Amino acid sequence: MIKTIAKPVQRKITGCGECRSTCQSACKTSCTVGNQSCERVTRESKIERK
Amino acid sequence: MIHVFNYRDKHFVYDVGSGSLHECDEKTARYLSGEKVSLSKEELLELETLQEEGLLYGKEADVCPPKSDKVKALCLHISHDCNLRCKYCFADEGAYHATREVMPLETAKAAIDFLLRESGDRTVLEVDFFGGEPLMNFDVLKKTVYYAKEEAAKRGKKFLFTTTTNGLLLDDETIKFFNEEMENVVLSLDGREQVHDAVRKTPNGKGSYAAVIKKIKKFVKSRGDKHYYVRGTFTAKNLDFADDVLFLADQGFDSISMEPVVTDIEELKIKEEHLPAIEKEYERLCEEYLKRYERGEGFNFFHFNLDLEGGPCLEKRVSACGAGNEYFSVVPNGDLYPCHQFAGEERWKMGDVFHGIEKREIREEFAKNCLFTRKKCGDCFAKFICSGGCSANNFHFCGDLNEPYPLTCAMMKKRIECAMYALAQKRAFEERNR
Repeated sequence: MIKTIAKPVQRKITGCGECRSTCQSACKTSCTVGNQSCERVTRESKIERK
Repeated sequence: MIHVFNYRDKHFVYDVGSGSLHECDEKTARYLSGEKVSLSKEELLELETLQEEGLLYGKEADVCPPKSDKVKALCLHISHDCNLRCKYCFADEGAYHATREVMPLETAKAAIDFLLRESGDRTVLEVDFFGGEPLMNFDVLKKTVYYAKEEAAKRGKKFLFTTTTNGLLLDDETIKFFNEEMENVVLSLDGREQVHDAVRKTPNGKGSYAAVIKKIKKFVKSRGDKHYYVRGTFTAKNLDFADDVLFLADQGFDSISMEPVVTDIEELKIKEEHLPAIEKEYERLCEEYLKRYERGEGFNFFHFNLDLEGGPCLEKRVSACGAGNEYFSVVPNGDLYPCHQFAGEERWKMGDVFHGIEKREIREEFAKNCLFTRKKCGDCFAKFICSGGCSANNFHFCGDLNEPYPLTCAMMKKRIECAMYALAQKRAFEERNR
């Protein structure tokens, strides 16, 4: 038995640079790109939900 | 490449190429780990289907996309002075191994002009006010924000501001200003009073907890739905740091980060021998984090945020934080460095905000760095999540921007496994309660 918990959304645009700089997020010492979200995907999914 | 791991009684498969996470039974986990285990036709078909969909053994990117040469963000060291003398401060208790000074307004304005000039067609720019303690130069900070907004508006651009503060100078005026102007505020607080006071001391050697806690609470209460992080540091002295995170959550803070200390101080620094305790502690934190989530008392812990569905695009994951290329730090006299952790190191001085980047070779060195120049990361499951680690940590601990620091790697991998487990458990809880 295998069950998918999460898979990435298909991107229309990548590398747009809209996301925040990693170092601005929280820590300034062990910044992790993977802890961030894509600003564009987040914004578009919020609009879709509305 | 896949990463098969067990977490408590659960079995997971993380597909590195696609970034997908699957949960499976023990037999499938053993099969995928390469053990000689027989799977039924149905079980094999499930795996084949995932493979066909690109969600198992997915193709991995191996080429670094071209990087933008447009500057995006500045860390503005508005004050190289601090009203605390924290023992572990990488910034030499605020002075960065030089004279204690604050940034003059003219230099801050020149930094904004530099960013606007070098940002090309980027429309969203970022400035992080950093120190030392930024609020020791509040007047300049405030005027810089107003100047940046005015100049950006003329060019159809926008600034997002962040301030990192120890909270000591928060008052009605600064709180109001931060809530109006700061996209994010990072507040330094290490957790339990005795833990905080052991390292975060005032210049006369007293602990600072009592002086900041009420102010930080007041600020967070006033923050509404705007971003903030209460950010702590753990050291070898508090390897039970889960208690500090939970203590912060108990104080009503719902956005928390807790980072391993970066220091050479023998009694405080994290050593290899501490790793088993740290890994157990992340697990303990994860369990309590989930319990609270299920009780409706959840909080955001920075390192357990793992947005596998809507996370950063591949370009971002491969090119990492952008230090030295699209992100620089500016010290009070206007000198430019690749990031705040290189500030004050002559070897890394790149130019200044008045004349621009003069040592182009440093920028080129950072621009060409990416996940694929970090050879040791090639067979690591975490590579598209951590992007090969922090360049500054790599350089300071291993002497090479591209050489990941094994201790950081070990903690990173543990946090990622905890985050994946937490994600699966949250999904299961949501399904049960649908």
